[in-house]
Amino acid sequence: MSARPITTVKTVVTGIEEAGAGVKLFTLADPDRWELPPFKPGAHIDLHLPNGLVRTYSLCNEPAENTRYAIAVKREADGRGGSRALHDEIGIGDVIGVSLPRGGIEPQAHIARYVFLAGGIGVTPFLSMARHLERTQQAEFTLHLIVREEVPLAAQLGSLVEQGRIIVHRTSRTGRPDLAALVGEGGSETVVACCGPESMIESFERVTAAWPAASVHIERFTAPSPVIDPDAKPFTLSLARSGAEIHVRAGQTILAALQEGGIDVAASCCGGICGACKVGWIEGQPVHRDRILSPYERERYLMVCVAGSDAERLVLDL
Amino acid sequence: MLDTMSAGPAQGAAQLGWTGVVRFLHLAPRAFLPMRAAETLTLVAGKGIEGDRYMIGKEEGFYSHKPEEGRQVTLFELETLVALKRDAGIELGPEEHRRNVTVEGVPLNHLVGRRFWLGETLLEATRLSVPCRHIEEITGKAIFDPLINRSGLNCKILRGGIVRVGDIVRNAA
Repeated sequence: MSARPITTVKTVVTGIEEAGAGVKLFTLADPDRWELPPFKPGAHIDLHLPNGLVRTYSLCNEPAENTRYAIAVKREADGRGGSRALHDEIGIGDVIGVSLPRGGIEPQAHIARYVFLAGGIGVTPFLSMARHLERTQQAEFTLHLIVREEVPLAAQLGSLVEQGRIIVHRTSRTGRPDLAALVGEGGSETVVACCGPESMIESFERVTAAWPAASVHIERFTAPSPVIDPDAKPFTLSLARSGAEIHVRAGQTILAALQEGGIDVAASCCGGICGACKVGWIEGQPVHRDRILSPYERERYLMVCVAGSDAERLVLDL
Repeated sequence: MLDTMSAGPAQGAAQLGWTGVVRFLHLAPRAFLPMRAAETLTLVAGKGIEGDRYMIGKEEGFYSHKPEEGRQVTLFELETLVALKRDAGIELGPEEHRRNVTVEGVPLNHLVGRRFWLGETLLEATRLSVPCRHIEEITGKAIFDPLINRSGLNCKILRGGIVRVGDIVRNAA
């Protein structure tokens, strides 16, 4: 039996390749090469690194390759430490927990043309998309890769560059390209997408400001803030028995806040019906969202997986 | 009054009973991984399914930190998949509900506390399964609510053996 809940997909590092311009290509697979959870083109995963850091990287292999995740990581000497840990400390055979894949673009049948704009290592989310479109032939695509001089992942991009599907713009030679000219005319059958440094994304947003939202897609290097119910408010849990105080962020569940605080609470369905996480409350104004407690029980108990608080402070019998 | 089933044949000699069949078998070795279809599963008495994430002694499942003997093998009704499509417009495949055995013609919700044969293996149902948010995260489908009260059955294995697609499921008297 494992003492702690399993919250990540267990993978092992099965390949590390130098890919140019300070980039390494890591391949992750299940220990038994079992199929991995599926992903959409352009999706990303969180890596839970052995040193405790959690970092998000785009998957750059083809979604049809269902037994491996490939990520390209540029070593950022002055970054926050994730890329340095991967480059300097991770080796073949190391175990890395990853999240389920998120995001990406679901190719739509009515889209005839994709235009991708990538700045440097921002090419990674478009690699799986390009490979997917190349294999399925379901739409035309052009990937404009804007780099200062050196092309990251040159070996991986080579055939697409030769085919003219990837056009490399070297700013050291030709200056910054005109993004408006690259994206061209909009239309309901065209999707344009951009991933790169913030200044490039801002230019892209200006250029596509008049386009319909469904035709424009942006990938940022840093994960966007989670979508939170605008009415959700933070509150504080006071634990009567231990004396601990735990902060619950807006939109966070009490269960998640307790777990973050190292408080072990049994939970199972996480949807307010199984009853596993029933906890007594002593003071406050709980918002009950479960579907099993009777009105009588709600005067004493709440289900921490779904309950909230209408007051700034909620005292629990923990 | 309501804590036992009625004994003996019903008035007019109506035959009470059911016989079902195994339609699909699935397993996965670790939490979150896609379930893989199998033609046979090997059930080990008191332990679980060979190669599955809840095999006792080799647990790597999402719920393995909360051991439960009834998680040795789990069943799901094919009829529920049909109902999900009919009533909620949700297409859920037998590989997506994350139970091991998809049966047809077996009233799973009636079997809690009872013993029944799954092919050559003998099971005892310990409790109804409940849906969990985890499955919505994995499938990306809003199936939590539609699966309430029909999310399958948890069982322990009293007699092990090999279960095959097409095996008969029947009550153990």
